[in-house]
Amino acid sequence: METLVKRIIIDVKKGDQEAFAELVELYKDKVYQISYRMVGNVHEAQDIAQEAFLRAYMNIDTYDLDRKFSTWLFRIVTNLSIDRLRKKKPDFYLDQEVDGTEGLTLASQIAATDELPEDQVITYELQDWIQGEILNLPPKYRSAIILKYIEDLSLKEISEILDLPIATVKTRIHRGREALRKRLSNV
Amino acid sequence: MECRKDIVSLIHKYFDEEITETENKQLKQHLNECNHCRNHFNELKKSIAFVQSSSHIVAPPNFTDLVMKQLPQPKRSNNWKR
Repeated sequence: METLVKRIIIDVKKGDQEAFAELVELYKDKVYQISYRMVGNVHEAQDIAQEAFLRAYMNIDTYDLDRKFSTWLFRIVTNLSIDRLRKKKPDFYLDQEVDGTEGLTLASQIAATDELPEDQVITYELQDWIQGEILNLPPKYRSAIILKYIEDLSLKEISEILDLPIATVKTRIHRGREALRKRLSNV
Repeated sequence: MECRKDIVSLIHKYFDEEITETENKQLKQHLNECNHCRNHFNELKKSIAFVQSSSHIVAPPNFTDLVMKQLPQPKRSNNWKR
């Protein structure tokens, strides 16, 4: 995978725009997943994910081939998501319920086609609930929890993406886990 | 209880997969004896499983096309190379 990615990036760096489409294809789902989990709104998530790829393209010359491409790309999308959350901070918490219901739109994009309709409803409700709880986390714990438990990344990779020492990443994951636990234990 | 703080740090070490064998034994033994810590441990475990049960999300259709349309025109240097 990494060798293939490097070859594609070398082509992109040389100015081959079509090669960039291959990179987008390879990483679009993960990048979109991060932005969606961070902001909880399909339209904004798509906007952020597209912007992340656009920035990656514009800055591809600064990307160091010796480093892992996904780490660099995930850092861009995480930062864009956090910027977006900062900008809409005043109304963000008020909007949370609305955000939660938008998971229904998301449901159409979740691959679950082989399930019966009734099962799908349950799945959608559960998925809305999970997303709602993720959005309830303060953004700095949210990013750490998403990268750790949804993207399944190592602490080292998370520390590079968030540009934080591993010890700080651990603290954020610990606090994120505790915050989830406190809410879920009241259910 | 005096042990609480130590145990909480062991619990987090456990979930970070950084617990040593000795610490793991110490933790398991304590969890057997202490309801409070056992609940805490189980609740954390459930919280993690809860987040992990989130569905895999895929990008919207046409995503790649939309990104490609936004890219600036290819550099001229590319043309003379061809």
